[in-house]
Amino acid sequence: MAKTTYVEYVMPRLPNTSPQTLSVLALLLESPRSWHYGYALSQVTGLKSGTLYPILLRLADQGWLETRWAEPEQPGRPPRHTYRLTGAGARAARTKLAEAAPLRMTRRLAAVPGSR
Amino acid sequence: MPMHGFLGRLADVLARQLLSWLHRRVEPGSREWLDALTAESECADDGWQRLRWALGGVPLVWTINQRRQTNEPARGTMRALIVPGVANIAAIAGWYAVIIPATYGATHLLRCHLSFGNQPGGCQEHPFVFGSIAIGGAVLGMISALAVRARFAAYWWAVFAAFNTVGSVWYLRSGIVDLPRYGATQSAMLMAATCGVVLAAIMRESAGAPASFLSRHCITALLIAGTISFAMADSLIRMRDRLLVADNVNHYVVLGSAMFAAILAGLIGRHESRLSAKGPL
Repeated sequence: MAKTTYVEYVMPRLPNTSPQTLSVLALLLESPRSWHYGYALSQVTGLKSGTLYPILLRLADQGWLETRWAEPEQPGRPPRHTYRLTGAGARAARTKLAEAAPLRMTRRLAAVPGSR
Repeated sequence: MPMHGFLGRLADVLARQLLSWLHRRVEPGSREWLDALTAESECADDGWQRLRWALGGVPLVWTINQRRQTNEPARGTMRALIVPGVANIAAIAGWYAVIIPATYGATHLLRCHLSFGNQPGGCQEHPFVFGSIAIGGAVLGMISALAVRARFAAYWWAVFAAFNTVGSVWYLRSGIVDLPRYGATQSAMLMAATCGVVLAAIMRESAGAPASFLSRHCITALLIAGTISFAMADSLIRMRDRLLVADNVNHYVVLGSAMFAAILAGLIGRHESRLSAKGPL
């Protein structure tokens, strides 16, 4: 887990730059026009529901994410909520991921023994 | 395995009960995301998986309710200030009205002196009774405050519970603590720490606003830093004429409480800054 510095505490970090949010954005960007289920997103990203849903909620609030209720595949089941990136969301996600790429590379190198 | 099957069914029932309970904690107009999480819980393969999925509803409900409060347009009106204000005052005063008679009742029942003080026959002869009243009372006060949605009072009692717990442990370890002598200073420090947490809870950053000297995080950080610095300086002054650790244990209780307050305020600040972060893309 990333440590919070005093600077981060006084000045909250920029929105949608946490590794968890970036992993959700990266997954949604893989097929930006398809609708995704929350359970599948959780399985692929490894995020728990309590982390994933607040992220999805915030992305939807910011207009990055489009939501839709889909009919259940099996009778007797409730309708399912599905998600996909909006046009603006996809553009913004690409920018965020591109900005975060050098940082993630640095972290990955730091984790490799003997890389420093 | 029959036992495994039973536990799996139990977990399944617990998951459904939890989701149903969480449903009642959210206003009907804000249930879309909880409904989404609930619908997806049907994809879980077994009861344990469903329970793990359902537990994620707890932070989600917290987020939904925080978002709703942040977006409430009536927050600045007099009515919006008076109602929670009265609830908070009632939750604090009401619980003092329970704890103080309980303390005096125990004193009378056990035929000992007042709960505070180190006179022979005082409360140190029954530390578990008075510790239970102090800690249990504060925890119950916190739960009651949460039940009436009095967040100010809940943080108040949370800090008191921490203070009383650390105090009781030191009390049991060292026997005699001269609380009345230093009580005023310590209470002042404790109040400052409490105020820090409460400020963190009630002040809100406007969405996307740059961090300024008067922002909630800054005020909270400065207030708590001031409290801890004061406690440190006070410790150094007292070190001149007495052993610090042996004779000044309550001081560390307050310091511990201030640290606890700082952590709590930090957690609130982090959580709410994520929610209010609606800056430019």
